This record gives sequence, C-alpha cells and structure tokens, in this order.
Amino acid sequence: MEGWLLRVGIPRALLYYYYFPLWNVFFEELGAEVVVSEQTNKQLVDEGIKISVPEICVPIKIYNGHILDLVKKSVDFFFIPRMESIKRGEFFCPKFMGLPDMIRYSIPGVKDKILEPGIKCATEKITDFRNYMNMADPLGVTETQIRKALKKAERVWLHFRSLCKAGFMIPDAMDVALGQKSKAEIELPRWPGDVNIGVMGYVYDVYDGFVGMDILNRLTKIGVSFRTFEMLNERVLGKQLKGLRKILFWTFSNKLLEAGYYFYREKVFDGIIHVTAFGCGPDSLLGKVMELESERYGKPFMTIRVDEHTGESHLQTRVEAFVDLIRRKKISHGGAGI
Amino acid sequence: MKVSFPYMGTTVIYKKLLELLGHEVITPPKPSQKTIDLGVKYSPEFACFPLKVIMGSYIEALESGAEVLVTSGGHGPCRAGFYAEIHRRVLENLGYKFDIIVFDELNWGFMNFYRGFKKLKGKNSIFKVIDSIKLVYRMIHQLDAHEKKVERLRAYEVHPGECTRAWDRIKEIYDGVYSEAELEKANKAANEILDSIKVRPVDERQRLRVGIVGEIYVVMEPSINMKIEEVLGNLGVEVERSQYLSEWVDFHMVPHRFSKPHELEILKKGERFIKIIIGGHAKQTVGYIVDFKERGFDGIVHLMPFACLPELVSQSIMPEISKQLDIPVITLSLDEQTGIANSLTRIEAFVDLIKNKKAKQTA
Repeated sequence: MEGWLLRVGIPRALLYYYYFPLWNVFFEELGAEVVVSEQTNKQLVDEGIKISVPEICVPIKIYNGHILDLVKKSVDFFFIPRMESIKRGEFFCPKFMGLPDMIRYSIPGVKDKILEPGIKCATEKITDFRNYMNMADPLGVTETQIRKALKKAERVWLHFRSLCKAGFMIPDAMDVALGQKSKAEIELPRWPGDVNIGVMGYVYDVYDGFVGMDILNRLTKIGVSFRTFEMLNERVLGKQLKGLRKILFWTFSNKLLEAGYYFYREKVFDGIIHVTAFGCGPDSLLGKVMELESERYGKPFMTIRVDEHTGESHLQTRVEAFVDLIRRKKISHGGAGI
Repeated sequence: MKVSFPYMGTTVIYKKLLELLGHEVITPPKPSQKTIDLGVKYSPEFACFPLKVIMGSYIEALESGAEVLVTSGGHGPCRAGFYAEIHRRVLENLGYKFDIIVFDELNWGFMNFYRGFKKLKGKNSIFKVIDSIKLVYRMIHQLDAHEKKVERLRAYEVHPGECTRAWDRIKEIYDGVYSEAELEKANKAANEILDSIKVRPVDERQRLRVGIVGEIYVVMEPSINMKIEEVLGNLGVEVERSQYLSEWVDFHMVPHRFSKPHELEILKKGERFIKIIIGGHAKQTVGYIVDFKERGFDGIVHLMPFACLPELVSQSIMPEISKQLDIPVITLSLDEQTGIANSLTRIEAFVDLIKNKKAKQTA
C-alpha cells in the first residue's frame, strides 16, 4: 500500500446523508482516499433508471446512478454497507438489507470491488468494529487499525449529530464536523418563526437535490421555519410512540413516525409536510397512519411524492399553497397571539 | 364468536380449525373484482397488492357479520408484518366494530401468541385444542400432498377440467371432516378420485416442469394470480409452487427442532445470491430457483405483487440467476391493474420457449 492510495468510492445517496462524516473519517484514518459521487443530477438519475428494475423506488434508482458515477471515476472499491439493524428488534427496509446483493448482480464492473460491512448494532452509533472486520483483508489493514479509525470516526460523527440537533441542516453540519467550515460562517435557520412546519422525510429524500428539490431552503425563502426528524432530541422522540399497539419495524420509519407524532402534539407546529419518493414501501403505510391521525389532531398534513418526472414548479406551488392556507387560518383565528 | 380470516389458498383449513374450536366461521367470499375494488378504494394507494385484497376481503367478511378477524402478524422487514395494524386503523375509521387477533410467529415471541390463542381457545379444554390442532395439522399435510398431485396430473388430463373439478371435490370432502376417522376416510376418497383421473401417457423426456416462486400471497391465491397453475397445466406443463401452507406452518409455527422444515435447506441454497434474510420470501424465492433447477425443472415463473419490497431485490438479481443457472425465468408483477390477456400471452410465449429449449437439448 506504500505510496499508493486506495480509492474508496462512497455514493452520495441513501445513508450518505446520515453517516458520511463517520465513514469519511474512518477511511481516511485507514489511509484511503475517499471519492464521493457527484450531486444527484438529471443525467445521473437517467443512467440509474436504465439499469434498475422499473418498479423499484426512486432512491434506489438514484443510488444505482451514483454507483455508475463512481464506476466512471474508476475507484478501487465501492462502499455499499448492508444495513441490517441499528436497534434491537428493528430492521431496515429489505432493499437496504439486500443492497450489496442487488448491486453485485445488476451493475457490471463492481462485482469484486464491493466493501460490504454488515451493519448490525444495538444503537445508531454504528461503530462496533466487528461489523467492519470483513473489510480488513481487501483494505489490507489490521483489527487494531480499524478500531482506532472507528474511535476517531465516532467522535466526529457524534459532533455531527449534536450539530444537527442544534438546528444545523445536514450539509452544513457535515461541513462543520469535517472541519471544512467554521460554525460562525453558517447562518442558522430561524427557529421558531411565525409559521412553523414539521418536515417529515428520510434524509436521502429531503436533502437530495433531485428528490427534495431543496425544499428546506425554499421554506426559508418564503419565511417559514421548519424542523426535521434529525434535528429533534432522541429523548423527546423516544416518548412519542408509547401506547401504540404496534410500531413499525424499520428504524428510520419509526423515527419519522415519532417525529410525526411530535409535530402533531407540539403546539408550536402549524402543519406537516411529508416528502416521499415514488415507490417507497414503508412510506406507503406510514403516510396512511399520519393521514388518519391528521384528523384527530386537527393539523394540516400534506404529502409531496416525487418521482423521476416531477417538476420543481409543482413542488413550489404546492408548498406555497400549503403555507398560505396555514397563514390564513392563523389570521382568522386572531393571528396575533401566536 | 363469529370469526373470519383473510382469504388465501386452501381456506378450508383455517375454517376447520376455527370450527373445531366451536366458533361460528364466516368464510369471506373468494376474492373477486368487487373485493379488489373495495380494497383498492380504502387502502393506501402505494400499499402492496395483498394488503388491498385482504382489506376488501375483511370488508366483505364484516359486512356478512364477522365480529372477530384472525390473521398472522410478523416482525418485518417486509410490510406484511404491519398489515393488521393498517387494516385495523382503516376499518375502524370506516366505522366497523370488530376485534382483531394477530398471531405473530411462535418462534419469535410466546406471550403475544399466547394472548391470541387464549381468546380463540374460549372455553375449550386444552386437550380439545391440542386434538384440533393435531387434526388440522395432518389435514394440511394431506391436502397439500393432494394438491401437488393435482398440479402434476393436470398437464396430462384427457378430459379438460377434470383435475380442477377433482380438486374442488376433495376440498369439499375435507370440509366435512371432524375426527381422525373421518380424516382417514377423506384421504382415501381423495386418493380414489385422483387415481380415477384419466391421463395421457407422456414420455419422460417430453415432460415440462415449471416452478412457481415468489411472494406467498400471490403464489398461493389463484383468484389473484390469474389461476396461473391452471393456465400452465392446460398448456401441458406440470407445476410446483414454492409455497404451501404445510411448509409455512412447519417453518413459522412449529419449533424447528420438531418440524425440521424443508425451508431451512432452501434458505441455504439462496445464500449464494442473497446473503441474509431480507424479509418476505425473497431469499426463499432465490433458494427455490436453485432447488428447482437441481431437480431438473425447465423454467420458473416468478410472481410478485407490484412494488413488493423484498421481491424487487430478487427481481433485480433475476437476470444473473437465470444466466448462471441456465434456466428461463419470467417475472410477473401483479396488482389491480394487471391485464390478464397481456400476461397470458407472455406465459404462452414462455411455455413455447421452454418447450423449444427442451427439444433442442434432448435432440
């Protein structure tokens, strides 16, 4: 390995938005060069669609597009973790669990270059070194090195999470955690404001430029304050699902469900926008639960479902209409006393 | 208690178990266009097809007076584990009054299972319950054996439709079984019926065999999979499914130590393509394809509900599996929009393809 850096490709998709700081530091500590795919763009999505099964959800099609982008960047390894479980008794969507299998047999040229740690932890701090041991041989590193790298990665990731909870949006929190920007450079979105909206959605939907279409900045621009699930404190979230007969068994979907109930219950929130991608299985059930609860709590709930054909003006119009509706409602209820 | 259940496959079995426990059973009507329409109307738009059909079935059952719904649960990661909760919330929102008993896997947690069990047990003695379960358990295995035979014979029947009629008759006979002695008699009668079916002799080298794999509900319920077994049988093809109730029970409801389910072996075979269990029956699907190939089958029909999460993973791998194992696979994804004529044409073409492939190989 001397004098020659291994290039590890990390697709800018799915849990990149949640775990990139951790993985980035981990690989750099091990002496590898981290190559991240481009921002999601139309061409990348189109290429992803071509090699995907037509029915599969948009985030996976996008993921495939990112893998193809990394193929072009001729990396030595593709980092495709098999996300199994980060909470006892809970799993990930089947597509996350079968992701390396799916990629291996459907995208030419990656077969023998996949790094696939099986992530199976008791907490979402996924730094149990045993999960990563199957990468020791391909990377040519030892257990001690892996442990050490993970320790450092963990620190950075925890810092990243605390920034999220302090109200930083994920791209900003990543920059700060990885030392590319200082905290002072970033202007925190206002919270709370006169209209406050809970945005429900997976990180790879909300923060992906193609699926989320920059919805958070759009909200800021029309003077709306927002919260997303990763900005909320786990302690508060953890209480939300008590008393439910049965909760979902996908960790991130449960986080959304918790956040959803929190948005419904806390007075400060005026409404909920659910951003989801076409074909998302867990969201098809989650959305229904939220829709039924909307009536009970008397708060407006809107779903924005994005697929590969959706235009930006559609999103803009609907968001504006939703916000107008909330503003009008507030005025008719004697507005001033918010 | 007036009890009902989701309609899937050989329903006489669920009916029997509940009847033996002294409940009044309301068998929902076989899923029809009306059932599907009802289900689609009230289900989440992007939910999978089985959830919608079962929703329709429940509504029909509740309309005909059911008070309690009995169903199986699950712990994911496939969506089916959450069906009961969604069904309950939607149906309650529609104003129906009912109780729902969900049986989660016995191999997962005992207490939940026990609670449901206690409700169903009612005033029956535990011995009566054990006897009933034993009887039904044997019945499941017998019925599945008969069905497998029907699926083989249908390809060669001399009088079209005879096998289907025989299978309907067998289910009727079993419907009248209430004791071990009657079960014995039914088994004998069923065997006689099957033996009396006239079949054409066919040379071993010309036999065409197709395995049906995929998600359990669309594989097991003929009314929503275009009666795929009959269709293939009428085209002169023997079929075998990956899913039978007896195997499901052995795998999910009986401790593996006793049942030694065949499915464990299948899972092992699936490992080559999908390393871990990812929910639903994706790994079984892949494992069964390997298994069918090893047993000399000529082709695979892969059925899945539209946008089924686990099966999409297996579908993504399918081209590679087909190539590596050298076995033709056709994937049909089913939902309320499925056009039958379109699918039938594809199946006919598929059968032609495997016929030619076989002819070339034997020539």
